Amino acid sequence: MKQLPTKVPLFLAILLFIGGCGKKEQPTPAEENELITTVRLKFTENGTTNTQTFQWKDLDGDGGNAPTITSIVLRASRTYKLDVEFLDESSTPAVNKTADIQSEADKHLIAFTPIPSSLFTYTAGDKDSRNFPLGLTGTVITSFTNMGTLRVQLRHQPPINGQPVKNGTITPGSDDVNVTFSITVAP
Amino acid sequence: MNRWLLLGVLLLGGLGTHSLFAQSLTDCHCLIKGVVKDRETRQPIAGAVLILKETGRNAITDAQGQYKIEQLCQGTYVLECRIVGYKVIKTTISLQHSAEEDINLNEDEVHLQDVEIVARRIQAPLTQKSTVLQGQALEQTRGQTLGDALKQITGVTVLQTGASISKPVIHGLHSNRVLIMNNGIRQEGQQWGSEHAPEIDPFIAKRMTVVKGAAGVRYGSDAIGGVILVEPEELPKNGKINGELNTAAFSNARMGVVSGTLQGGIPKWEGFGWRIQGTLKNGGNIRTPDYFLANTGIQEQNFSVTAGYRTGKVGVEAFYSQFQTNVGIFSGSHIGSTSDLLNVIKNGEPFIKVDFNRQIERPNQLISHNLLKIKTFRNFNGNRLNLIVGRQYNRRAEYDLHGPQATTNPALLFRLTTFTGDLTFEHKPIASKVNGQVGLSGLYQYNFTDGRPLIPDFEQKNLGLFLIERVVHQKWEWEAGVRYDWRKLDVFQFIGTTLDPRLHYFGSWSGTSGVVHTAREGLSFRVNFGTAWRPPNPSELYSKGVHHGAAAYEEGDDQLKPEVAYNLIGSVDYTHKRFRAELGVYRNLIQNFIYLKPQAEPILTIRGAFPYFKNVQTQAVFTGIDVDTEWEIITNKLIHTQKLAYLRAYDLRQNNYLVLIPANRLESGLRWQLGKALKCDNTYFSLNHLWVDRQRRVPPNSDFMEPPAAYHLWSVVAGGDLPLSKGKVLQWSITVQNLFDTAYRDYLNRFRYYAIEQGRNSSVRLKWSF
Repeated sequence: MKQLPTKVPLFLAILLFIGGCGKKEQPTPAEENELITTVRLKFTENGTTNTQTFQWKDLDGDGGNAPTITSIVLRASRTYKLDVEFLDESSTPAVNKTADIQSEADKHLIAFTPIPSSLFTYTAGDKDSRNFPLGLTGTVITSFTNMGTLRVQLRHQPPINGQPVKNGTITPGSDDVNVTFSITVAP
Repeated sequence: MNRWLLLGVLLLGGLGTHSLFAQSLTDCHCLIKGVVKDRETRQPIAGAVLILKETGRNAITDAQGQYKIEQLCQGTYVLECRIVGYKVIKTTISLQHSAEEDINLNEDEVHLQDVEIVARRIQAPLTQKSTVLQGQALEQTRGQTLGDALKQITGVTVLQTGASISKPVIHGLHSNRVLIMNNGIRQEGQQWGSEHAPEIDPFIAKRMTVVKGAAGVRYGSDAIGGVILVEPEELPKNGKINGELNTAAFSNARMGVVSGTLQGGIPKWEGFGWRIQGTLKNGGNIRTPDYFLANTGIQEQNFSVTAGYRTGKVGVEAFYSQFQTNVGIFSGSHIGSTSDLLNVIKNGEPFIKVDFNRQIERPNQLISHNLLKIKTFRNFNGNRLNLIVGRQYNRRAEYDLHGPQATTNPALLFRLTTFTGDLTFEHKPIASKVNGQVGLSGLYQYNFTDGRPLIPDFEQKNLGLFLIERVVHQKWEWEAGVRYDWRKLDVFQFIGTTLDPRLHYFGSWSGTSGVVHTAREGLSFRVNFGTAWRPPNPSELYSKGVHHGAAAYEEGDDQLKPEVAYNLIGSVDYTHKRFRAELGVYRNLIQNFIYLKPQAEPILTIRGAFPYFKNVQTQAVFTGIDVDTEWEIITNKLIHTQKLAYLRAYDLRQNNYLVLIPANRLESGLRWQLGKALKCDNTYFSLNHLWVDRQRRVPPNSDFMEPPAAYHLWSVVAGGDLPLSKGKVLQWSITVQNLFDTAYRDYLNRFRYYAIEQGRNSSVRLKWSF
């Protein structure tokens, strides 16, 4: 039987590889689609239009420059309406993520944990489709003069294997946001 | 005949020598002659040394590969064949004839034993300890991941991310410090990640070899801890179509695996061969002794096509394979913050428990790997020229749980394209003693990362040149080699939206030298000193951000220098009658060892504070012992095996232990070979026990959780060959792993924080060869 010359397959191989190279694309910057840079708490004292805004802000995302956090100052024995906003201010214009969370109310829970717990009581003012609290808006009732911290968590509680897991408690899911403010309840 | 011989060689490994007959009327006019050939090319091998162990008589093959040993007395002999670059072959020969008194018989008629020896070229370094997984040992792992298959080799463990993602660890080193050679090509995926498993279908392999220790000269950069060689069977050369069908069914995860191979030649086209092969795998949620792990399903589809033509002189082979997998990541492991992690550790089990489910949801990984390879060789005047060129494309899409884009775009997408070319020239033996090869390796690679910022896009070019020479002289085999590698790395880093390109040059020498000494039949020593290097990868240089799942903020350092390993490894092989033992000792010193060092201050992010780690370099030393014993309590009936792996890894600068080092372990097995039973041949039953110690050598406060407790696992296997019509055989085996459904955690599983390990898993394997 006649043997194939070595050069033929070798040539074919080289041809195939050159053909396979093609044009390479240009590198592009990475894009963080799910960045939240800012948590904004808006306290409005009942019966007034007097709104105080406190925020936790880290414009360059994780690492880099440290976040800037404003301290919360509230007054004792008052009732406040508390609205929360989540924003991505890393790009211009800033993107407000609050509406996204609202539309995915069944998968999210905003939890407020004052330490000590006697700082105030919180009641969520909104519900999801399964009647569990969401927490984008709610009521804060302060008691006596005190100092402490307030932890604000945005819990992401998506269904697992098609079964909803959100049950109104903080337990299921993971943190999308977990920030701590210092808080003073002044006389 | 050849197959029979090879089988004989394998079986004889542990049997030791056969004593000579005590003879009064000795006939000493017998003769052994034959030819030595390369198994793959069927070319005769010149310069092979044949030794009759009992008499010390020897011969060397001529240019036609022929040898002859005359004036032998009758009896049983062990004939050993040694050639540089090939595995040592031993075979038993019985020289007898019926008419003992007839001294003047024509030699060629009665006293002759014609032995053809088929030698297999060794890909692994000669003087370095390597362990081969093939045959039944490999068959018993069918359906499992590559890492799980290899962990039965002493000194090899796995680094896991849940039960479905596992990476091989050799002597405590893994990821970028272990090189995988898939069928002659460097496997290039995103190896740096601990949750990135090798993208190889284990069914392609007919043989998997683990080379322990630094082997930088032959294989280039990254071969610091060892090399894994994944090798398929040689292509058939004749027209007969044959194949095999493998099935494996597992009770845990209700996983099913089917893999088929069909191969043949083209009638009347001697030399042509082809093979097609494919595998399907599907599994659902994994069950632990206490609960199911949500979203731990796996779906895999792989295929490969090979076609080739070869004669003794020349050959060409094209290989294309595609690997595709969709792996669910345990949803209980998804954490957003350090407090999430601490909560689940405190809880001791996942917060959300589910039932069995096959569906794979977010988070998951969609990975595909394509490999096209063309291999050619040409033999001329006893020399051989090899050229292997390959193109790989690795696409890794990682989907997060989050946000609107999770349903459409991956949170992270890596696209890595690699071109490799290797040219080696193996020269003919010089003075029948010195054999060697010189080689040139090239690599060109580029990577694109999209999605969340993690590592920048990069492009790298690599060139390596090496020379290895081997000498066989009587009972000594020497090996020495040297290599230089050069790498250029272009990094396309963005600061905000502005490109800030960086350029790195790396280069390093590697060397190896070693010796094998066969002191006497059944006792050999080998010592190797080898070096290997590894340039820092773009992740170590430029990563910056929270490592999800690890709950850590990790930062690279663009000033890192290449790692260099200096590895001294020695081993003793001892065989005496029904006992066989292998002892391996190693010390691997790694200069500029890159690791993540915890920093004092945590990083405060919108998801809370994360421990802060920076990539720094130190001097690390890995010292260990591997012991393997095999004792035939009753010859061919009852066999006891034991494997011990001991490892200590130390940071010489910090004067402390290193993190994530596999714990010491001891594995024992008792195998009962029933022979013919239940209408089957080669029936066997085996009982195995594995003890893994708690990792006590960890730096203090280095982890969120103490290393898990020691554990004991039991498993049983039974199997046999059921003869079908016309010599066809159905091989079956039944395995139960984690027999007592033990709840345990393993220190090398990243998910040890979140859940216990897989529970009992019964499996049935059938292999039908036709």
